[in-house]
Amino acid sequence: MKLTKSFNRSLWVFHLNTGSCNGCEIEIVATICPRYDPERFGMKLVGSPKHADVLLVTGPVTKKMAAKARRVYEQVPDPKVVMCIGTCGQSGGVFYDSYNLDGPIDQVLPVDVYVPGCPPRPEAIIYGVVKAQEKLERLEAAQ
Amino acid sequence: MDLIAPLLTGYGLWAPVAWLVAFVAAVIIVYLLWKTGESSYKKGTQLERPYLSGNVEPEKGAVHIRASNLYWGFLQALKGYYDVLVPVHTGILSDYLIWFVAVTALVLVIVGVLS
Repeated sequence: MKLTKSFNRSLWVFHLNTGSCNGCEIEIVATICPRYDPERFGMKLVGSPKHADVLLVTGPVTKKMAAKARRVYEQVPDPKVVMCIGTCGQSGGVFYDSYNLDGPIDQVLPVDVYVPGCPPRPEAIIYGVVKAQEKLERLEAAQ
Repeated sequence: MDLIAPLLTGYGLWAPVAWLVAFVAAVIIVYLLWKTGESSYKKGTQLERPYLSGNVEPEKGAVHIRASNLYWGFLQALKGYYDVLVPVHTGILSDYLIWFVAVTALVLVIVGVLS
């Protein structure tokens, strides 16, 4: 039972760092600051994957983080969308041939939206969130 | 005897119909709260485990205070007594019967000697 249909479009996002250098995190924080203010659309970061619609993943997925990433992914209720933020998550970036990677992210989790960049600008992240929202609406319609 | 009639004892009132109405109202409220829950919740998955930064949930006893912590001092004070008594509690019925028979025989002997 939904409280109101207006909430259908508010995205709650859980951010998971799988070994990022924190460059992407800085841009994510810049994205949620008042200059861009995505919270006016109901988009915000949440503290638990159980409350999230979107799993926002950064980093190339180190061996230590692979199992944790899978566990967090399973804790996000359906329908859900996985966003890969930054070059490291897409290809490993500068860590592409490291002995310590299980990634990139799509080797561990099913990724729906890729936002390239090292790090990507807030505008790019917001564009990715819009794409995630479109995907989520399709998933909700299919349910 | 009318089973559903209110009963006034002089010390209190027992009204089965009032209790029944209250119970049904409580069930309806609980059902409505339950209906507002997340319907895509899946049993037996990670969704029912706590979120611990992606870590595996430790065994409950490892992170909670066990009930035995409440009477730890009591056990410690009577350590000599419990060290003997706890191993005797094997959980095997025949062991307890042997103890029962042995203690009964001992009591009978003592009573017989003293009388």
